[in-house]
Amino acid sequence: MDFFDRQDRARQRTRVLVFWFGLAVVLTILAVYAVFALIFLGERGRFWDPNLFAGVSLGTALVVLLGSLVKILELSRGGGAVATMLGGTPVRPDTTDLYERRLLNVVEEMALASGIPAPQVYLLPQEEGINAFAAGLTTRDAAVGVTRGCLRLLTRDELQGVVAHEFSHILNGDMRLNLRLIGILNGLLVLTIIGRQLLRVRGGRSRGGREANVLPLIGLALVVIGGIGLLAGRLIKAAVSRQREYLADAAAVQFTRNPAGLAGALKKIGGLAAGSRLNTPRAEEASHLFFSNGLRESWLALFSTHPPLVERIRALDSQFDGRFPPVVAGAPPEAVAPPRRGLREVLPPPWAPAGAATLAGGTPAPAARVPAPQALAAAGQPQTVHLAYAQTLREQLPEELQVATRDPLGAAGLVLALVLSPDAAIRQRQVESLDRELAGPFLDAMGRLSAPVAAVPAAARLPLVMMAVPALRELSPGQYDLFTTLLQQLMESDEAIDLFEYALQRLVRRHLAPHFGERPRRVVQFYALTPLLGDCAVLLSALARVGADNEPEARAAFERGVARLGVSAPALRLLPLAECNLAHVDAALDRLEAASPAIHRRLLQACADTVSADGELTVREAELLRAIADALECPLPPFLEPA
Amino acid sequence: MLTTLGILLLVLAVPVVLLLLWAIGAYNRLVTLRNRFKNAYAQIDVQLKRRYDLIPNLVETAKGYLAHERQTLEAVIQARNAAYAANQRAAANPGDAESMKGLTTAEAGLAGALGRLFAVAEAYPDLKANQNMLALQEELTSTENKIAFARQAFNDAVMTYNTARETFPTNLVAGAFNFAPAELFVVEQPEQREAPKVSFK
Repeated sequence: MDFFDRQDRARQRTRVLVFWFGLAVVLTILAVYAVFALIFLGERGRFWDPNLFAGVSLGTALVVLLGSLVKILELSRGGGAVATMLGGTPVRPDTTDLYERRLLNVVEEMALASGIPAPQVYLLPQEEGINAFAAGLTTRDAAVGVTRGCLRLLTRDELQGVVAHEFSHILNGDMRLNLRLIGILNGLLVLTIIGRQLLRVRGGRSRGGREANVLPLIGLALVVIGGIGLLAGRLIKAAVSRQREYLADAAAVQFTRNPAGLAGALKKIGGLAAGSRLNTPRAEEASHLFFSNGLRESWLALFSTHPPLVERIRALDSQFDGRFPPVVAGAPPEAVAPPRRGLREVLPPPWAPAGAATLAGGTPAPAARVPAPQALAAAGQPQTVHLAYAQTLREQLPEELQVATRDPLGAAGLVLALVLSPDAAIRQRQVESLDRELAGPFLDAMGRLSAPVAAVPAAARLPLVMMAVPALRELSPGQYDLFTTLLQQLMESDEAIDLFEYALQRLVRRHLAPHFGERPRRVVQFYALTPLLGDCAVLLSALARVGADNEPEARAAFERGVARLGVSAPALRLLPLAECNLAHVDAALDRLEAASPAIHRRLLQACADTVSADGELTVREAELLRAIADALECPLPPFLEPA
Repeated sequence: MLTTLGILLLVLAVPVVLLLLWAIGAYNRLVTLRNRFKNAYAQIDVQLKRRYDLIPNLVETAKGYLAHERQTLEAVIQARNAAYAANQRAAANPGDAESMKGLTTAEAGLAGALGRLFAVAEAYPDLKANQNMLALQEELTSTENKIAFARQAFNDAVMTYNTARETFPTNLVAGAFNFAPAELFVVEQPEQREAPKVSFK
């Protein structure tokens, strides 16, 4: 089962969940009606009154749906909103605290290895236990949060294990499901809250003697019914969550190839008095988001959102005897990844031409050529090599660029410099076309960085952009508007259509949009390819024309893509340049984004076949494919030379 | 009779629930906006601290050359310490009117003292050519740019918050839950709006 299947599965699970929820609402309505009928109709010996039923069902449904909707809307502001709700504070990209720096580095390495920009990182400063969570609807608005205990008490390897566990939730589409669960349960919670309020209403000045006491009675009924519904909801939630946790543990080990790290973190939870418990009053509703059980051990395993600690550890370390060693605070952290088995010394720069150095011992290096049919093999499933590669890549980037990615101004200048044309003369014209008065600080930063950026090889350009995204989230809305305007102007002043540069800037804007007011809408609107054929033609035509020098070559490339798509229709024809320019591609990608994962898989495979001139992707073509894959919500890890 | 009660309940409950939901939304929005400008201050804080760390190095480097300008050097250090303290107060409570004004004044004082130091340094060609000094001045300029940028972001965030706080109907919620107005971080005199001149040309 690959990435796309898992995405589809996650969606199906959501649908099943909505079905159960619908059932729960119907049962609740029936129960509420039964109570009303007993109270109001009982003496008349007749239990069916359509009017009463309409009123009751409408009222109950309204309350439950509204309660759910409000919560879902609140959570749709993204992972950051959830983190704030839980008492989290953002960890700043330019932090100087060694522990925070280490955390950011670990997250950034994982993000680069998975092919997504680093999610927002939050710290829960009030929480002394060891725990962590991931929240968000998509990779674009994902947030990872760790507790203070997690930050301080774990070694780098253990922290890496925990973060890898959270990344697996992000990449598997679990987060969306988890947030929906919170929303759904909130609807039933509102019912009990209203019931509790009604319970307090004492008999007022009602005319009839009997009716005065009816409200508390209804309240009691609502509390009981809502309570039962909530209980059932929590059972479902716990069952879903427990299963996901095992999977995430397994994925984390696959990612870091270091079971000891994750097992060590779990053992420390067991050995710590505070364990993984959370102090926040919101722990209950978000309990299934967390790395480990955030509540007191439930008396009934059925209600536990996490498998027992000992079992999770045994799955990783079969030698475990069930005794937890006491936790001692470790030495202050090394911010930088420790060199892996002396790898750094033997390692050529990641962008050294393949073959120039002997790549011995499974040393990760970007693949010079990737066979197009294998392009999607690693989608959403980063491996240990990707992580090692990400670490070396980060270390070998010039210091100046690394520093620039950490503050908003530097990051903005970096991205602007990255979309500048490689041709010096065009670059000059591009810079002159910008409004100096308006763009002053951005232009200074861009100018300072344009020389080191120009020396960055193709394989490191996309990762640099991804590294810049967290700092760019700190721009103010006004600065963000200006920044995107400048990006747009630079793209338009570039005479050659450079699809790669276009894809870079689209990636930046896509990942920043949720932070500047735009809600990520990711509703699947297309389950069939037919309505999207025109958009496919635009995308494939643009890709075919980028790599081709003449018409026949472009046609051949286009035909390869269409053949892979497996559809032949009159709409699928090679478009002239004027009909597949960047504006068209932009619009096409917007629509294609709303297709189902299965369509994305076919389309991306077709893209891979189109851009690869001879059945293999060069580094630049591979990076272009990665950037397009990002637009289709499919994180592709870097392509590496097989060991 | 019974259905009238049901309908009455519904008619009463729906607006109340809607109103409640709106109030929750408005409250959450105000909290978000407040967090946003507080977080934006953290951005300034990092850069200001960076500059406060650079200044003692600058003075240390200049000391060897400016033996006769002790007063100027001491004034810089004093202004730096005052600004450092003012920043700590502001960072503890960003947007608070008093501490923001204190910071504005202290920063103006520091900019003035630095300006005088650089004016004095004009007369010492050896100092101007010192590699360390050159590196420091480059660093200082770049930090100044980042501060200006971060200040803009902070002020934007404060403006958004203040607008939300003051406009109807959000102001009802703001009043009920004590959302205090936030103060901008301005640079006082127009001539000091520029980064202190650190060019020795």
